[in-house]
Amino acid sequence: MHEAGIAQNILDIAVENASNNNAKVINKIYVKIGKLAAIEHDALLFAFDALKEDTIAANALLEIEDIPIKGRCMECKHEDIYDEMFFSCKRCGSYKVELLTGEELNITEIEVD
Amino acid sequence: MEKINIEEKILSKNIKKADALRDLFKKKRVFVMNLVSSPGSGKTSILESTLIGIKNKYNIGVIEGDLQTENDAKRIRKTGIDAIQINTGGACHLEAGGIEKALVNFDLDKLDLLVIENVGNLVCPASFDLGEDCKVVVVSTPEGEDKPAKYPSMIRVASAMIINKIDLLAYLDFDINKCIDFAKGINPDLDFFNVSCKTGEGISTWTNWLTKQINDKKSL
Repeated sequence: MHEAGIAQNILDIAVENASNNNAKVINKIYVKIGKLAAIEHDALLFAFDALKEDTIAANALLEIEDIPIKGRCMECKHEDIYDEMFFSCKRCGSYKVELLTGEELNITEIEVD
Repeated sequence: MEKINIEEKILSKNIKKADALRDLFKKKRVFVMNLVSSPGSGKTSILESTLIGIKNKYNIGVIEGDLQTENDAKRIRKTGIDAIQINTGGACHLEAGGIEKALVNFDLDKLDLLVIENVGNLVCPASFDLGEDCKVVVVSTPEGEDKPAKYPSMIRVASAMIINKIDLLAYLDFDINKCIDFAKGINPDLDFFNVSCKTGEGISTWTNWLTKQINDKKSL
């Protein structure tokens, strides 16, 4: 349950960037969260809504884009999406699968006035 | 309405602090291990069993993370090793800033090994880099062989996995090979150690791995 810490970090980065660009209000914050980052949406949104009060993001929406786990086999080069947390190549069975996406915990963009 | 492109890691503040710590540890040639597990897997017992065998050869410091109490730091101090306790209050993990503050208690010029025993939690500590050289994850046999599959984020970022309490295998339906396979399916580069702090089985093999890491860091 570290979603409150994550939400605070999102707000800090958004407010800092907005201020640097002389914005008065933050309307929307876009984040990308990989499936392997183990973040619970509802907990993150709950924390975000509680923490945004009395900031320039008080009315901001948090837009979360979920990033699936995509892996590439280092032996046969096959690429696939992994819904299960077991990354053995779906073509050749090798365990040497390099993850291309799914570990993100990024803030990408804000909309401001 | 204006759009501002950011493209930044949400935990960048912690990452920056952790990177600074990693540079410092490299300069001082201190090997730093971040020990993680769920509550009750035996992290502190493993430290007691391991460190007592190498304390005459290396200068060791331990940072203990728990929500409350000095209990674990006291246990480590009983072995003659310096330990300081961080009480997080309610927080479920340690952050790089807390480690930075705790370092005033140690003389890094003299230290060979710093162990950070994280708060018992297999979720949150996976996301917070502490500047360590490696994370070592402990799973104990009563927790079930599918523990790695249930907590993949931590398995993914660990360098080694210790399976503890193997003295209980006779009483449990715990298949070690299955447990290891679950973990390999998430992180094929893991090193595995099966140990019992009760009987001492496997402790020397694990300790050899640890001392190799310490020596490699010293000779950088």
